[in-house]
Amino acid sequence: MVPSYNPATAQMPTIIVGVADLKISTEPATYIATHALGSCLGITFHDAKRRIGGMLHAMLPTSKITQGEKIREAMFLDTGIPKLLTALIRAGAKKADICCKVFGGAQLMATDNFFRIGSKNIDMFYRLSQEMDLDVVSWEVSGRVNRTIRLNNLTGDVIVKIPSKPEFIR
Amino acid sequence: MKSATDLQTVVEMTRSIPCAPAILPKLLKLAEGGSADLGEMEMLINLDTGLATDVLRTANSAYFSSNQRCENISDAILRLGSKVLYRIAASTLTGRWLVHPVRGYGWEPGDLCRHSLCVAICAETFSKKMNLADASTAYTAGLIHDLGKFALAYANFTSLDDISDRVPAEFSTWREAEKVVLGFESSEVTKALLENWGFPSTFVSVGHFYQTPSESPEADRPLVTLIHAAKHVATQLGYGVGVDGFYYEPDVEALQAAGFKDEEMDAAIPEILTTIQRFISPAGDIRFT
Repeated sequence: MVPSYNPATAQMPTIIVGVADLKISTEPATYIATHALGSCLGITFHDAKRRIGGMLHAMLPTSKITQGEKIREAMFLDTGIPKLLTALIRAGAKKADICCKVFGGAQLMATDNFFRIGSKNIDMFYRLSQEMDLDVVSWEVSGRVNRTIRLNNLTGDVIVKIPSKPEFIR
Repeated sequence: MKSATDLQTVVEMTRSIPCAPAILPKLLKLAEGGSADLGEMEMLINLDTGLATDVLRTANSAYFSSNQRCENISDAILRLGSKVLYRIAASTLTGRWLVHPVRGYGWEPGDLCRHSLCVAICAETFSKKMNLADASTAYTAGLIHDLGKFALAYANFTSLDDISDRVPAEFSTWREAEKVVLGFESSEVTKALLENWGFPSTFVSVGHFYQTPSESPEADRPLVTLIHAAKHVATQLGYGVGVDGFYYEPDVEALQAAGFKDEEMDAAIPEILTTIQRFISPAGDIRFT
């Protein structure tokens, strides 16, 4: 689906999520966006009944890679996803009403030995989504494209932009 | 938009861009020697008002400033030292060139600059861990590694769209498609530009062979392989990556020979990301100095 111009949403403010960062919003008329996912995963949670949404931009699958150093929880899927879920529930969302969408995980060609972060992230997300019983309603992952995403907190729609292509909605 | 033309025409067209980093190789030569000629360095920096301003601003920043303000470039050079100075020059000069508005590769304004900065930071980080090259050299090589793509985008060819269409349809790499559509690769443009500007041969090798380090001259291979690794790690991070970014294959032979290991590269990413985020805001704004 291609997004059409809507004056009601065109002026909505946008909260930007950096790499290794997460943000939530309880304000319905808000976008939450993150740029250039590359091999990272961008994960959106949205409670449509209460119009509470959140986004995580995680770079790596597991925090175990840091070997005891102080970590930025949002950098890793295994720490970032629970943190985002907890934040949403604290803000008033109900887990049973939260839909999850996942984006990113791009991969270079012929990466059997090196540069496999995209596939490692997708594998880890799949595992965590099963363990945490997440309601994943959209997968827009893998491939060789750099995705920028924008969650419309009013509707739960996620607008996806990839270089040289028109935007589309998931 | 123009149809395809020859490599030399592309290189000639970029001569009209006023802010080409042409004084960089001269500064590099001065900074490389242990006893840099400060007078000559001052003269070169003063040739470029924007660079002189950046140098003074950095010398008087909270990080470097003592009680006394630097009022001139001469004082700033003494305070910063030739290595820091060179790094400021490399960032300012190439950054300015790379943010010149161009169409192609699906770039947003500043994308090539963001990506090149990430490659530079990855290269610097790996240089310290792998001992394959001097950190400043690695940083500069990262900044300039893909100037040929900038030149092609500046030339504004419709052919870039043909490459972009061909690559996913034929499952070819970007290099293969460049060769078929243009008759040459963007790395050959980078090589020609760097040679024209008088960059040392090691940097020319980086520009020419960073996608295929196994083919580079043996003496340059450690740095070329370092940039190859840095390039792909930076691509995974996503900053400024255009439509071409993921259509490349790693040179496994060169990476293994240089001692790179996948898990160790992944483990370096938290440190790399922290450094990158000092220079690039979440919204993508770049702050070089």
